[in-house]
Amino acid sequence: MKTKIITLFCIVAVTIASCSKNNTPTKTNTDGTLEGQVLADFPTNLANPNYLDIETKAGIMKDAAALFIATPNDANLKATQDAWKNTRGAWESCEGYLFGPVEDFNYDPTMDDWPVNKTDLDSLLSSKNPLAVGDIDPLETTLKGFHAIEYIIYGVGGTKKAAQITDRQKTYLSSLTQSLYNTTKQLRDSWDPSQSGNFTVQVTTAGKGSTRFTTRKDFFKALVGSMADICNEVADEKMQTPLAAQDSTLDESSFSHNSVTDFTNNIRGVLNAYLSSYNGTSGHSLSELVKSKNISLDAKIQTQINAAVSSFGLLNGITYEKAIYANKDKVGQIQTAIRTLKATIEGDLNDFVEANIKD
Amino acid sequence: MRQLKVIGVLIILVLILVKCQKSKVFPEDQYDDRLSGGDETVFSATSQAFGNMFPGLKGYDTHVHELGDLVFNQSFVTAPAPIHSGLGAIFNNTSCTNCHHNDGIGLPTAGELQSSLLMRISLPGNDAHGGPVPVPGYGLQLQDKAVFGKVPECKVNIAYAYNTYSFADGETYELRTPTYTLTNLYTPIAGAYLLSPRLAPPMFGLGLLEAVPESEIVALADPDDVNGDGIKGKVNYVWDAVTNSRQMGRFGWKANTASILTQVASAFNQDMGITTSVLPVENSFGQPQYDGLKDDPELPDSLLNAVKFYAQTLAVPARRNTTDATIKRGLQLFILAKCVNCHKQTLTTGINVAFPSVSNQIIHPYTDLLVHNMGPGLADNRPDFLAGGQDWRTAALWGVGLFETVNNPGYYLHDGRARTLTEAIMWHGGEADQSKAYFSNLSKSDRDAILNFLRSL
Repeated sequence: MKTKIITLFCIVAVTIASCSKNNTPTKTNTDGTLEGQVLADFPTNLANPNYLDIETKAGIMKDAAALFIATPNDANLKATQDAWKNTRGAWESCEGYLFGPVEDFNYDPTMDDWPVNKTDLDSLLSSKNPLAVGDIDPLETTLKGFHAIEYIIYGVGGTKKAAQITDRQKTYLSSLTQSLYNTTKQLRDSWDPSQSGNFTVQVTTAGKGSTRFTTRKDFFKALVGSMADICNEVADEKMQTPLAAQDSTLDESSFSHNSVTDFTNNIRGVLNAYLSSYNGTSGHSLSELVKSKNISLDAKIQTQINAAVSSFGLLNGITYEKAIYANKDKVGQIQTAIRTLKATIEGDLNDFVEANIKD
Repeated sequence: MRQLKVIGVLIILVLILVKCQKSKVFPEDQYDDRLSGGDETVFSATSQAFGNMFPGLKGYDTHVHELGDLVFNQSFVTAPAPIHSGLGAIFNNTSCTNCHHNDGIGLPTAGELQSSLLMRISLPGNDAHGGPVPVPGYGLQLQDKAVFGKVPECKVNIAYAYNTYSFADGETYELRTPTYTLTNLYTPIAGAYLLSPRLAPPMFGLGLLEAVPESEIVALADPDDVNGDGIKGKVNYVWDAVTNSRQMGRFGWKANTASILTQVASAFNQDMGITTSVLPVENSFGQPQYDGLKDDPELPDSLLNAVKFYAQTLAVPARRNTTDATIKRGLQLFILAKCVNCHKQTLTTGINVAFPSVSNQIIHPYTDLLVHNMGPGLADNRPDFLAGGQDWRTAALWGVGLFETVNNPGYYLHDGRARTLTEAIMWHGGEADQSKAYFSNLSKSDRDAILNFLRSL
């Protein structure tokens, strides 16, 4: 009889135990120290150096354009083109975490709207309208920024020679590069910890007084969301639109044939965002936070980001304008790698943030 | 005996298992006040909180939503162009997202990149359908931008007068009163005209609002104040240019638009100068800015429908901190102030087997979708079908607590004159006078409780 009672108690105990809300995650990082360190290091090791780099490189592009305008030869045009690609690289990688002033104040479309309004741009250049910086600042963003500069210094097909660039185009180029530089400076200043109202403080005080991130989870959700967004933008917008239409003119950086580099830097930006890292400097990161509780998830995410970045090697240097016709399968494989990454970010990583970041 | 014991054990087990079910999490009445959008609620409080797809969407619907998202965020350019062609010739902005920034409310400026304020214009009187009368040479909306070589219709100038007022306890607050003037008119306007500013509203939850049965909205109306609560509320029946019929107006600050499709097609046509099969005539037709190109409709039906579907399937952000004592007190005060007499907490969408996502959902939009007299302070004095010069549609308050996060710094009301929730409340008048007075007479801690409640939406 005693045995039966004990058995009965065991059954009841097991049943009750099985009823407990085992879907509620266990909270291990109770003091949130590491979370705070990530909040401190994200601006210090990634956002601020990245935005400073964009500004520095935009300054170099502005100076290169000035040198080309003063001495218009093919070597100086090439230097301007190289400076454009360098600036573009730094910019595209910051698109891995597109939140804060870059979206609040439309710095993104101001610098990187697409497509170029070619009809109006050609008309403007053919006109006698003034083209000083103050004259072009009020223009629509589809007449300014990276792609308007690209249109002038590369031209359709990317075959521009110095001798083909008219005086009006040179004047416009001078103002465009100055205007772009001004915007990169505003963007850099918006995060600069020494400037009043800077966004760095909004991040470092997340959950502790920040008006933009009332909880720390809000920051991490914004970070994870922006990482997923750029994956979607690359795989299913920038790559998919020209592929589906079989039309290379719909490719974002078609004048410079720089799209594959753009895409790669976008996904590198995802890695930077995950690692709080820029140009070799890294600190406490979301990766570290994940790793502290789920080593295999961290490994999975890093593997998938690296796989997505390296998948662009499948194109073996072929431009995206050609790849959409000649290498559709390989383009598809790259898209799959990025979509896989996106699914992990939106699924596992987002779930991790939901479950583990409580404050 | 042995059988009895076995039965006894089984009964105990069943009882324990029954006790284990999560009846406390989801009450029997299915009411969970966090789920503002019913099944189509998302738990997001970031700057992207207004831009999430219905969580219940699946299959090809997700593809159409994403296509709509892409077009919504894309800049349009002057024709001819290989993609996104047809901007203008006159327009207010170059993309949907430039006004509906992050799918949220806009900035109350005009003529700049981020500007989200446009001006409706009309002559006094009514047209054949009871709507506003177009101004010759201008139509019903002013386009203050133009493509290269064309002249914008005008420049819109906004000036504010600032005045300080006090609550009953002596704390002060400031209201700014806008004045709108037009300069650089491309051609003179003969006689008097009526103007009405309209700020780009948030995009989410529209599909759910569209799915609320007309009968449910009509039942909330009390145009003669039969119940004597001082609050009337009437339906704005409007002429729908898409279906060529009289319909209930639901969307727009004066409920002057019947459907999401009409709203989207009108915005393409009037705000960007993009023609569609639904509205195939350029907004500048008959004016010198007209491009004369035979490229209409400029937006294919596939993309128009994708954007319509996108607007229809943006999920509602969940409420936050609903169990917080102050927020719960704020809600009670919000009810006691009779704010809920117009800002209805709960509506139920109709049964729709063709589109289950919006079917039979208990939603908490905090609107009755009716127009109310809001007094002379907010009046535009420009009637729009049955909505009079002092009438405005009850703004849906779901998501209002996230305006600061999504659209830093966040503006409120039809023209964005209110910079804070407090200002928005204190601009209420007319049928809302009693509620405003109630709020004004509260202690600071009680006013803050109401504000905290609003921030939880």
